[in-house]
Amino acid sequence: MYGEIGNKLVQHAKRTQSLAHLPPYQTELVRAVTREVRDLDKDVATILEPFAGSFNPSTEPATACALLVNHLCMRRDKRCLLAYHRTRTDKLEEMCWSGIDVLERQQQLSQKGGADGAGAQMGTDGAGSSLSPEEEEYVRQYSDLLASYKGQWTDIDLTGSLEPPKDLFIDVRVLKDAGEIQTEYGAITLTKNSQFFVRQGDVERLIQQGYLQRLS
Amino acid sequence: MDIDDILAEVAVDTMPRETRDLQELTRAWVAERIAPEIMAWPGELMERVLARVGRQIELVEDQTGNMDPKTNFRLIVVQTEVERFKFLVRSFLRARLKKIDTHPFHILAKHTESDASHPLLSPAEYQYLTSHQALLAAHYGASFLSQFPNSLQRMDDTTGGISMVDKPDEDAAVFVRVLRDVGEVAIEGTDKRLDMKRGDVWVVRWSAVRGWVGSGDLEVI
Repeated sequence: MYGEIGNKLVQHAKRTQSLAHLPPYQTELVRAVTREVRDLDKDVATILEPFAGSFNPSTEPATACALLVNHLCMRRDKRCLLAYHRTRTDKLEEMCWSGIDVLERQQQLSQKGGADGAGAQMGTDGAGSSLSPEEEEYVRQYSDLLASYKGQWTDIDLTGSLEPPKDLFIDVRVLKDAGEIQTEYGAITLTKNSQFFVRQGDVERLIQQGYLQRLS
Repeated sequence: MDIDDILAEVAVDTMPRETRDLQELTRAWVAERIAPEIMAWPGELMERVLARVGRQIELVEDQTGNMDPKTNFRLIVVQTEVERFKFLVRSFLRARLKKIDTHPFHILAKHTESDASHPLLSPAEYQYLTSHQALLAAHYGASFLSQFPNSLQRMDDTTGGISMVDKPDEDAAVFVRVLRDVGEVAIEGTDKRLDMKRGDVWVVRWSAVRGWVGSGDLEVI
């Protein structure tokens, strides 16, 4: 049925919204929907061919109806595709904003997937990156765009916390060795399991990256 | 003019510039977070606020070596204030960006319509909007749109009954407080009339009051 594959994409998109990670890109589905659109377009062209540009809907209601259905299906498919891609790019943008290096994570995942696949003597095709090549390119360019926009607000640190600040200094515990950081009160060496009372602005990034944990 | 107005004027004039800036910024921030539409870019206000944050950061950096407890304490106060200002500006900018990302074409059209002396977006935001949309368009194109028939490749299609350009819900309800007497306000499409007096709080459609919010007669709360 027309539009059925598009619907699957929309279901995928809906599911993606509530997931923490990005599920694999549905290359097959996207291709199928695109093919459907092209087929429908060809159909429209064949239906219209015998009329040679002088088609009058009121004299041929049956043909007009077929054309209308085809047109609507094409638009619907387009909407489904757009919605699917938009949901995914939104997700990717969100990751860019929260400072997760999407591409690096993808590489790690695919390496791990590759190793697992080899161990199990299975084909590794399915275990690759969950991003399409186009999406990887998009992430790269969006990070650049974000960086250049952020660069104009160096004082503000645009990707900082959106929680209203309450205290200037906070207690943090170090979860992973993070080396030495410079603060206005001198250098602090962050070794695992130690605890510090530091200025929030100095360690904001490290908290986001998961090196430190904030203690309340 | 009654006594309240006179008092209000005096109060505004005696307040130092900095306090007024903070008030304006807070107001702009609240409005931006609540109003369904994006507000005009408060260019001058932002310049002043950023200059001030810059000055204070410099002051903090200058004085950090100083171990005198008195200056030290003052620095903590200054730093706390800087952090709060930074939060306000950050949250404000992010709220705007979110709207820009949600309704790009609508906002772009509005921005082009808007007065050059009071643009809707700052130059940086405009640049972000256009390059982000270019990126998205390239991404869609590469992923599937380029294989579509030509007539379906447009992103701002209005045929087929549905416009592809998404608009914010301009009739969303907002809470407003009246700062200066506005007089009678008629709500379009209904026969309701409201008499807005200073100090009143109303729940109204955004589309009915946006003009006054823009001019500062009403504030969104």
